[in-house]
Amino acid sequence: MIRLILFGLLAMALGYGVVSLYSRSVRREKLEREWARRDIDMARDEFVRRGMAEYDASFRKKLILLVFIVPVILVAALIYITNFT
Amino acid sequence: MRYVKWTLLALIALIVAGFLHYTLPHRDIVRIVDTEVRRIDFGENSIFWAAPDAGAAASGSRDIRFINAMRPNGRVVVYRNEDTGWGWPPYFKLNSSNLQTQASDRISTREAPEWVALTHYGWRNEFFSIYPNAVRLRPVAGPDVTLIPWVNIVILVILALAGGMIWRMWRQFRERAIDPLVDDAGEARGRVARWFGRK
Repeated sequence: MIRLILFGLLAMALGYGVVSLYSRSVRREKLEREWARRDIDMARDEFVRRGMAEYDASFRKKLILLVFIVPVILVAALIYITNFT
Repeated sequence: MRYVKWTLLALIALIVAGFLHYTLPHRDIVRIVDTEVRRIDFGENSIFWAAPDAGAAASGSRDIRFINAMRPNGRVVVYRNEDTGWGWPPYFKLNSSNLQTQASDRISTREAPEWVALTHYGWRNEFFSIYPNAVRLRPVAGPDVTLIPWVNIVILVILALAGGMIWRMWRQFRERAIDPLVDDAGEARGRVARWFGRK
């Protein structure tokens, strides 16, 4: 069981890291595209930096924490279904 | 070179499919004939056995519960009934004793058969003396009921989605982190970019 917890935590941490990197990257690209498309009265770096600050404070970013929550719920549900129904 | 590539890909696909076939649940409709406990000394087949009862000590030899059954077509199936505990595969099965009791309760004769749908994973192989591991059972109306493998459908769809997600992440990483470096490399650009199969 200790092994499961250890490897589970490791896998979830890895998943969290990768998903947040991906999400940041997609958001940055979107901001850059938006700057290029619209006529924005601001330097490109400044616009992207503000957009990213907004993203860092967003609820969307916190949703990535589900990477830690969903597997735990899944395991608990699985234990119940296999053994007690 | 092309043959090597395809052989390698086919081999990988075969291993993945075999792994999934071994690990995912499968349901048989059977008539339970007997339940028993036998002592097994694990040899070269040891990776095909699961874990000792949750909370018990591990050793190279232990008593294992078996469920002997017949298929409607008269063929024999023998299941082991072991905890998987907290290990692989992640069924988190802890109730082997209870399942054995349920199975014993369902023992029936050829004259008055009682059919059950027995969920299991694993393979039966006589050459290695390996048995599928029974996970749960429930009574069914008769030997001809149709069972739809919803669990497998859901798991495979989720795996496919996860694979697609990983692919998209890789594409994004390549586009944002690798290609700009390649572009910076100036003269090397054409060569390297062609290597990556883009532009």
